[in-house]
Amino acid sequence: MEITFAVLLWGVRIAFLLLLYLFLLRAFGVLHRALVAERAVDGATRALGVLIVERNAGHAPRVGERFPLRASTSIGRDAGNDVPLSDEAASARHAVLELRDGDWWIEDLGSTNGTVVNGTRIERAERLHFGDELAIGRIALRLEKGAG
Amino acid sequence: MIAVTRRRPELGLLFWVGALGVTGSVAVAAAEVAGFRPQQLVIPVTFIVIAFALHLFLAARGIRGDQLLLPIAAALTAIGLVLVQRLASNLLVQQLSWTLIAAGAFAATILIPRDLTALSRFKWTWALLGVLLLLSPLLPVIGREVNGARIWVGLGTVTFEPWEAVKLLLVIFFAAYLEEFREVLSQTQRRFGPIPVPPLPYFGPIVAMWAIAMVVMVFERDLGATLLFLGIFLAMLYLATGEAFYTLIGILLLLVGGYFAYHAFGHVAARVDVWLHPFAEDVRFDSGYQLVQGLFALANGGLFGAGLGNGMPDRIPVVWSDFVFDAFAEEVGFAGALALLALYLLFVYRGMLIALRAPTAFLQLLAAGLSFIVAVQTLVIVGGNARLIPLTGITLPFVAYGGSSLVTNWMLVALLIRVSDLTARVKGTP
Amino acid sequence: MTRSIAANIRGLTLTIALAFLVTSIGVGYWTLVSGEELSADPFNPRLVAAIRDRPRGIITDAANNKLAESVQTANGYKRVYADKTLAHVTGYASFQFGASGIEAAYAESLIGQDPADPLSQWRARYLRERVPPGSVMLGINQAVQQAAVAALGNRRGAIVAIDPRNGAILASASWPQYDANLISDPATEDAAWKQVNEDPNKPLINRVTQGLYPPGSTFKIITGAAAIENGVDPNAKVRVDDPWQADKSWGTYFVRSSSRAHGDYTMADGYRLSENIYFAKIGLQIGGPKIAEYAQRFGIGAPSRCDITAAKGQVSRTGALDRPTLIADTAYGQGELLVTPLQMALVAATIGMGGVMPTPHYANEVRDAEGHALRVIAPGPSGQVINPETARALTTMLVGAVEGPGAFAFAAKIAGVHVAGKTGSAENPSGAPHGWFVGFAPAEAPTVAVAILLENSPKGGEDAAPLGGRVMAAALGK
Repeated sequence: MEITFAVLLWGVRIAFLLLLYLFLLRAFGVLHRALVAERAVDGATRALGVLIVERNAGHAPRVGERFPLRASTSIGRDAGNDVPLSDEAASARHAVLELRDGDWWIEDLGSTNGTVVNGTRIERAERLHFGDELAIGRIALRLEKGAG
Repeated sequence: MIAVTRRRPELGLLFWVGALGVTGSVAVAAAEVAGFRPQQLVIPVTFIVIAFALHLFLAARGIRGDQLLLPIAAALTAIGLVLVQRLASNLLVQQLSWTLIAAGAFAATILIPRDLTALSRFKWTWALLGVLLLLSPLLPVIGREVNGARIWVGLGTVTFEPWEAVKLLLVIFFAAYLEEFREVLSQTQRRFGPIPVPPLPYFGPIVAMWAIAMVVMVFERDLGATLLFLGIFLAMLYLATGEAFYTLIGILLLLVGGYFAYHAFGHVAARVDVWLHPFAEDVRFDSGYQLVQGLFALANGGLFGAGLGNGMPDRIPVVWSDFVFDAFAEEVGFAGALALLALYLLFVYRGMLIALRAPTAFLQLLAAGLSFIVAVQTLVIVGGNARLIPLTGITLPFVAYGGSSLVTNWMLVALLIRVSDLTARVKGTP
Repeated sequence: MTRSIAANIRGLTLTIALAFLVTSIGVGYWTLVSGEELSADPFNPRLVAAIRDRPRGIITDAANNKLAESVQTANGYKRVYADKTLAHVTGYASFQFGASGIEAAYAESLIGQDPADPLSQWRARYLRERVPPGSVMLGINQAVQQAAVAALGNRRGAIVAIDPRNGAILASASWPQYDANLISDPATEDAAWKQVNEDPNKPLINRVTQGLYPPGSTFKIITGAAAIENGVDPNAKVRVDDPWQADKSWGTYFVRSSSRAHGDYTMADGYRLSENIYFAKIGLQIGGPKIAEYAQRFGIGAPSRCDITAAKGQVSRTGALDRPTLIADTAYGQGELLVTPLQMALVAATIGMGGVMPTPHYANEVRDAEGHALRVIAPGPSGQVINPETARALTTMLVGAVEGPGAFAFAAKIAGVHVAGKTGSAENPSGAPHGWFVGFAPAEAPTVAVAILLENSPKGGEDAAPLGGRVMAAALGK
């Protein structure tokens, strides 16, 4: 019994040291992956995009207007949005267009009338490519490369 | 509506933290005479629950950015709980309570202020608050003197050290002030050869603020805090200006000041003498006793340690706050001690990386300054424990017993996470 | 333009990383490298282990009388010492102040982990199994010890008696003493420690092994040995005229004879009448390097092999004898010489044993809890220091120094036994000369060798000689 207990005890002690090192190594791994992700974004944000108005409802926004995109661009009826759309059919905070790992994503923020991409209404979030068309309310916007 | 973030890597790491905490606690408990009792697992399990709760809190708030700082801080705190259980089990519940308060402070710092740049706008408020906090231990009723240093404030039975909070305020103030100072510096730069001439009206307030901090700490006879404030000042100055010259002047001031302090203050002279000759006959049983026992503990550790629960830490006076590192190294050896140092370095490194990516100068200086605080605290106390520099009263962040230190350090983690979150929102990382 | 903050951050991070590296190296030093260096320190954790928490082994004398044992108190165990006169030998064992003497030197044996039983060390460290400790048996002979203590009385100094055949130390007395019980008792240790450390007479020092004194005329034994083995004829007569100097370059320095001698002296006369000028002359004749060499061979200035740490002593401050005045001075036992009483006892023992120097040891045996011998401490002789013929010649002369007409060491005589010995009166800066006596008996086949040292004794060696006789008599059973 004495021996078994002693062996178990030493097993726990060794386990502690091992866990300490395993945690350290995993933490390094997480850091490394985070750095890779960050670098990818930093690289990608040099080639940001632009939203060009294709079709509007009424006067604003002007057709052909270009909205330069940031890494995270908010779209909606509220004036505080990066891309303000004065359309009744658009919610105050309608959607957000985000750069994630170098890809553009449109995310619907739970709007009343939904967001349409290339004619199809999206579930919640959808990946966009350059040339895709976004429809919010009665306004259509096209995602293009460039600075605006 | 705030989007919830998944934070999977953080969750994964927290499981490892949990395993670490439980294993350590079991090892320490099993080595005791009373043996292992399942109810002793309450403490580590409670802490793990707290850590996971913080994780869920961050996820629910949609906090993006870094996922490494919380697990590392949690791992260090978990190790700290294991060590308090080992070295001063009567203080364990108290330490857990402080951990709970620290978690609350962490959550509060995540939530407020809503806009981090508000920190830079109220810099003079922070400066004033800092000075008041520094002076509070000198007040008659609530100030307390412990072991010759008057740095404590007590409200009822609870005591804490205000200077711990001041170190955060100081970094915020310096970061805000130096952001402006940098702009001025880049416009009106004059030099005498290699020596830069700083525009004095702008240099004045910052030196004054620093001088106040130094004088107060000297008055309150806390060697460690004085050293810490000097280090923070020099580091922030270097970060903002890049002038090695200021750092050199600062180090010179330190040496000159140290020389005068050695001759003027008995307790400074005592610390330096112990550092230089700890094994001398008239020192080792008296003022050098603590350090000598600490060094023996290190020597007993060897490569893999004597085993958790198998060392002899009760030979070291006040081991749970001043000499945790030596006690830890005795039981887990050089291997374990190296891993611990690596954890701290990883934490600091991550903080510096966050600083590099931060979008504004203020945030860069803030994050770098906060990371520097953790680095310098660790280096100073481990250096003192290993007789590389004289011993000071600074405690090992997250690990040593001490409430004020734990709370302010977790607030520090929260601030760094917020900077990282802000950066992620601007630059667009998940 | 000022540097970018990013660049500064990188610079600071690099500095921090370097600082961490340096710190890790520092920690590495103390955990990995310093262990050897610290293992001899009385604060070594393994030494102070089992002082308070577990009973420690017993220390006994040669007749198995208990000298030190562990006694249980309300707060654990403490050490109790039965024979206060052996405090310097047993040492003390305090949780706070560490251990000294036998308690320190045999600490591993006393906690049940004697090196002769490596399994016990493993079991203790990894299985936490404690082997009940046994005992350490010293060579101290109660009768001789009591005689030595009585002889020394309240005079500052040291008496040591060894068995020249095997180096076992039969008696070891040092005055002033201290009470080891007070230091080993947690209730009184702080006050007692303060007191013994502040006492200007330094009671903690074991003067037998750590007291350093000029040997005075007892050193002439070594000079004589060196002379005989380097071509000096002990029977040749040498002219002695007091005072004496080799030449005018010595200035005001003269060698003085203690009996204002004028005459022709052989070496036997030189010993019998302790004639300084004789030995100064032959010392100069054989030269400084030879004297230094023989002093080293007899152990002066060389690390001691005793199981309790003993001082090395010195031949001179630099280790060499280069000036003629220094050579002359050293030859008759002054100069810059410093020796311990133990060393001089070994010199006597060597002469008695035909030139073979024994290795001194306080402990004779380590036993386990059942009383079986685990390890016998018998280190064997240190070496052949001088030729047997030289030793025989010196023995005869030293017997003459005790029994011959006008012998200075006459008071050391023992009825029915031939005693060989030499007195010494060592001049020293602190006042009256130190009184020495070294000797062995019976001269033809000695079973005891002694060294007596009385600090600042008015009649010097004359005071020491009778003590030598008494102690040797006790050892011989008289």
